Amino acid sequence: MKILLFFVAILVLTITNAQESKQDSLRVVNRLLDYNSNKLTIGGYAQIDYNEPDGSAPGKLDVHRLVMLFGYKFSDRVSFLTEIEFEHVKEVFVEQAFVNYNVSPNLNIRGGLMLVPMGIINEYHEPPTFYGVERPGLDHDIVPTTWREIGVGVAGKFDNLSLKYQAYIFNGFISYKDGEGTLRGLDGLRKGRQKGAESIVNTPNLSMKIDYYGILGLKIGLAGYFGETQTDDTSIENSTVGVSMIGIDARYINNSLELRGQYIWTSLSGTEKYNTLTEKDLGSQMNGYYGEIAYDFIPIIDSKSDKKLVLFTRYEKFNTHKQTEGNLDPNKAFDRDIITSGIDFKIVSGVALKVDYQWFNNADVNTDLKNQFNAGIGIMF
Amino acid sequence: MKKITVILLFLVFHLSFDIPKKIEKRIDKEILIVFDIESYSKEVIIVDQGINKELKIDFNNDNFYKIRSGGDLVGYFYYGKALSKADQFDFVVIFDYNLIIKKIKVLAYREDYGGEISSKRWLRQFNDLTIEDTVKYNKDIKAISGATISAKSMTNAVNDILISLTILQNIMQL
Repeated sequence: MKILLFFVAILVLTITNAQESKQDSLRVVNRLLDYNSNKLTIGGYAQIDYNEPDGSAPGKLDVHRLVMLFGYKFSDRVSFLTEIEFEHVKEVFVEQAFVNYNVSPNLNIRGGLMLVPMGIINEYHEPPTFYGVERPGLDHDIVPTTWREIGVGVAGKFDNLSLKYQAYIFNGFISYKDGEGTLRGLDGLRKGRQKGAESIVNTPNLSMKIDYYGILGLKIGLAGYFGETQTDDTSIENSTVGVSMIGIDARYINNSLELRGQYIWTSLSGTEKYNTLTEKDLGSQMNGYYGEIAYDFIPIIDSKSDKKLVLFTRYEKFNTHKQTEGNLDPNKAFDRDIITSGIDFKIVSGVALKVDYQWFNNADVNTDLKNQFNAGIGIMF
Repeated sequence: MKKITVILLFLVFHLSFDIPKKIEKRIDKEILIVFDIESYSKEVIIVDQGINKELKIDFNNDNFYKIRSGGDLVGYFYYGKALSKADQFDFVVIFDYNLIIKKIKVLAYREDYGGEISSKRWLRQFNDLTIEDTVKYNKDIKAISGATISAKSMTNAVNDILISLTILQNIMQL
């Protein structure tokens, strides 16, 4: 009898053990599938371009950008988001990498490498979300997209007011490094982006944006960025400049019609001394705007279709030498305008086939700019 | 038979508490405002699994309720989740006793992208829709720049709920 009991006890133990190990393996599977499918997000976007300037110059084919997005939710309140970018296939960057702590529906606290909220494109830069193969020139030479730095800040929305706000303290542009100046007249602050890569910090910069969407179809943004550039040699007083940038943007959608506009005003202080020190040609005021009209013709062709066939035209005018200080004469070639006109065909909302033509112009009568044909594929998922 | 009833009761009781406490509080608040009442009781509507399969939306027996005030049926509410760009958001659709939408509220939105859909003004566009209605995004429902995925997702969810309720109404007389 005792032997039988012993035998039964062993049997029971074995069964429970077997069940436990089965549960364990199930748990691993759960963690890999169910668990992570809710917590881990994978996304991305890509832009593959063909650019052909007029005349005898050869065309260029380029995987301009390929970006992988990963999001991970640790809990209902804590999440992490990162975007890893491959540019022109061979360069690797991190576009975003920040932790978000959701305090309440109206308040999030976040820190890490984040996008600076200025204008439309810097935050909404996935190719199917804008028209044309290339981003607007204004969002290249004045707002240096993709503009991101390391910082901390708060963000949230008020549903009753239809208002969204963001406020951050960011590391700023680097204006002086290894004995040389980085900022210049052609594209202002662009070469000063540190992108979170071993970045140098002396002075924090303040960045804010408010978006209002209380009128149906319309979204208006007001952004401000204030501070000073960074230097790797603080003993040289003139190696930094003060930066103030203000941006207003608006987007309107009504059925097939889409309108977009953006105005950016930038004032840089201390550029005379900076230019003397670095032999650069940085302007003291840069500003510009663009307006865009787009119309989707699909509803006329096939009212049931989910595709989009959009004709668009964008006019932009911007000047990175709106004002200059000291002996520096404004370079008229920096007073530019671009007309971009073309077609975007969206097969699905995440894939856009694009063709357009760009007319480049500037205020310098002596330059003969080549216009350009572009074709591309834009993807996001 | 008694046993089955007890189990069933337990099941109902148990399942009806599946809505997270914090979310439940927000739903309560909205219901009291919409119907201008001081208290209410809710009663879960049980949908047979066979019928459930036919529907566009999963009525999993803890997301669709009758709202009673002082014993009278004043309306219904549906609590659901829909996809935003990289996450899910929670919402509640509150109907009057004729199943006409009185209010939609986003109860929890968990990412930056598309948060604009929580706007009271935007959600008001769905008010007064009946279960026979279908709405088209960017036509009947105005689009929001930079929130396309979530706005479409909300619109689709509402359409699916309305279609499912039409079917339910025909089969089981809500």
